[in-house]
Amino acid sequence: MRDVCLYAQVHQPYRLRRFRFFDIGTGQTYFDERQNRELLLRIAHKCYLPTNQLVERLIRDSDGEFRMALSLSGTVVEQLSATAPHVLESFQRVVGTGGVELLSETFHHSLASLGQTAEFREQVELHRRTIARHFHQRPRVFRNTELIYFDDLAPTIEALAYAGMLVEGADGVLGWRSPNHVYAATAAPGLRLLPRNHRLSDDVGFRFADRRWARWPLTADTYAEWLAASPGDSIHLFLDYETFGEHLWAETGIFEFLRHLPGACRRRGLRFVHPSTLAERTPVGALSFPRPTSWADEDRGVTAWLGNPMQAAARARLHQVGAAVAATGNAQLLSEWRRLTTSDHLYYICTKWSNDGDVHQHFSPYDTPYDAFVTFMNVLQDLELTAGEAGGRASRRSRLDTGERAVPDRHSQSARV
Amino acid sequence: MFGWEFPPHLSGGLATATLGLVKGLARRGVAVTLVVPFPVGEPAIPGLRLVSGTWRRDRVRSIRIATPAQPYGGTSAYLASRTYAAGTEGTAVYGANLFAEVDRLAGIAGEIALDEPHDVIHTHDWITYAAGMAARAVSGRPIVAHLHATEFDRAGDGANPWIAARERDGLRGADHVITNSRAVKRQAQDRYGVPEGRVTAVHWGIDDVYEQWTGGGASPLPADAAIVLFLGRVTRQKGPDYFLDVAGRVAALVPEAHFVMAGTGDLLPRAIMRAAESGIADRVHFAGPVGGAEVDRAFRMAAVCLMPSVSEPFGLVALESLRAGTPCIVPPAAGVAEVASNAIKIDFWDVDKMTRTVVDLLRDRDRREQIGARGREEVASPRFSLDEPARQIEAVYRQAIAAHPGVGHA
Repeated sequence: MRDVCLYAQVHQPYRLRRFRFFDIGTGQTYFDERQNRELLLRIAHKCYLPTNQLVERLIRDSDGEFRMALSLSGTVVEQLSATAPHVLESFQRVVGTGGVELLSETFHHSLASLGQTAEFREQVELHRRTIARHFHQRPRVFRNTELIYFDDLAPTIEALAYAGMLVEGADGVLGWRSPNHVYAATAAPGLRLLPRNHRLSDDVGFRFADRRWARWPLTADTYAEWLAASPGDSIHLFLDYETFGEHLWAETGIFEFLRHLPGACRRRGLRFVHPSTLAERTPVGALSFPRPTSWADEDRGVTAWLGNPMQAAARARLHQVGAAVAATGNAQLLSEWRRLTTSDHLYYICTKWSNDGDVHQHFSPYDTPYDAFVTFMNVLQDLELTAGEAGGRASRRSRLDTGERAVPDRHSQSARV
Repeated sequence: MFGWEFPPHLSGGLATATLGLVKGLARRGVAVTLVVPFPVGEPAIPGLRLVSGTWRRDRVRSIRIATPAQPYGGTSAYLASRTYAAGTEGTAVYGANLFAEVDRLAGIAGEIALDEPHDVIHTHDWITYAAGMAARAVSGRPIVAHLHATEFDRAGDGANPWIAARERDGLRGADHVITNSRAVKRQAQDRYGVPEGRVTAVHWGIDDVYEQWTGGGASPLPADAAIVLFLGRVTRQKGPDYFLDVAGRVAALVPEAHFVMAGTGDLLPRAIMRAAESGIADRVHFAGPVGGAEVDRAFRMAAVCLMPSVSEPFGLVALESLRAGTPCIVPPAAGVAEVASNAIKIDFWDVDKMTRTVVDLLRDRDRREQIGARGREEVASPRFSLDEPARQIEAVYRQAIAAHPGVGHA
């Protein structure tokens, strides 16, 4: 009997407001509360609520035979908790069925795994606590931001006591091997790697609604047939949760597809399993990822976030300011800085205007990557200034506090840090 | 009077100059009907620098004709703006290209000339020359063609021959030509063969009434930061690459130096990318378009203003900088260099000398303040007021009208 491991990522960043050079030092908030709230509610309406409801029903109707994994970034959980508690409850309900396994990641959906090991561990721990508080689960499997993985990361993940990790089934890494097995990490033989089957995953995630695709329209039946005909032991299908209803609107039939998928799979002898179940398996071999590999773009590298000089400069500045913030020991400033570590901020600065670039534009709140860069750098300048003042035990903000301002979430959130 | 963008959205540029000229003329009792081919509504930026205690609105009539024509970008920028303008309310049906727009404006100009009584027709740069001709054909009044910048100033080697041809026809066909510097006057004579007796150089002045920054500390950066400012369109003409060249060198010598580029333009993305590559991305800042009191704020926060313009027919920004007491480096070929003795003159290509001068100014606060004070004092003199160019232009009007004895006074 072949296994199917379905996993989906749930993430929303804290998007920045338009922050001009002359806004620096005026006490303006960094994050666009209104935009973030409205987007969250819109996505909840189109995706989270209906999908959670459907998944809950599929689990109950199949007596737990249908099961899947989710990972919710800390930034989305925090935003749901603050502005849409009924949506968070809907996630809690579906997790409460026992059919949904939660995975670990960095709280801030950051790139800290690329060299900031101490910060990485702290963000993972923050996430672990958040998941424990809201969902009472302790994840045993890790998924890094955008599935980024490379050999040097393996010992860190193993040391954090994770049994397995999701990785991209990149062709360049797998070579002749199939993604449909459980592998060991060469750099940490105790750690199991579950490679994403990107062809079958993207058939749903990217191609499902593409009318130019020869296989359109794709039915659950046909798809289950493909799964059953695939070689290997277990098929790892990793997607954005927002695929259901947000990236692909309900009109595309994506919910019908999901509704019929468990039955179609059962009829073909396919069984749904959780990642932690697979992480107990004996690996068929070991995989080595010499370079950071992600699930994004054609190149499967990290160029979507670190591919141009602006992104490199923005990241260097982020760490420079991070050091200044850390030196203050101010928990509120640290929390704001961490929101800036969310990989989306660098993703918006991507200048690839290929097919990949189209995807980037779809997700960006900015007109151009240059606007994204300038805004990000202005915010960092402001934060550095604030940190400098905080270090000097002076409250610059209160001194300059003369004009009107929006309800500042940077102040109201401080109590929770 | 045929102009374009009015009132101005940004510091410097033709719109600011036109506004200054119109205000100066109004103060002298000259009534102006300004026809502008630009689809702008009322000023969108709060605190736009239109405020003036002596501003006589009743002496200026502004007729706005909907068109997406833009003075600086040539045809490519026009094509880009068309999409935007076409979606706005109350705009007319557009022709296929910028030249068609210019001709359309010229077509309407005849009708306006019939309706609007006038003694003289004042046109600003090539885009309005054809309109002036059309107006003269109807009214028989003399044309005073204002040459702010030639196509060669704007585009260098990439000059559009069609625009240059229109420029030539407009200048040769005018009854009199006004340039805003002696250098541009020489261009009108040498490049376009306008006889010397028909060209007058009139340097610009600045308004003593303007929106001032009142918000206290002008700099958003740490107190020890010394700011070098670029303010203007980020286009080839203004030399943003030279600014960044100087920035890179100054940054290595003066740790507290920061660099601010205010303005927007087709080279802005490239400038941002260059700044990111430079290794000093934390010290190069982009303020985007600035308006209202922010212009004054930008000058006040700066230790020095650097204008490495490849071509600067006049350079009003330099006067605004001096007015704020901020030393300003301009190329010796700029029109403003002919009159502002306290502007520091360095060629745009002399990156070494600009670097040395900026470093010296950043390191020597006393000297900086001395130069700033002298500059502020200089531009406060009546020579740099709005009245002076208005007085000279009125004299040109009277001369042109006197040379047209055949037409009765309207």
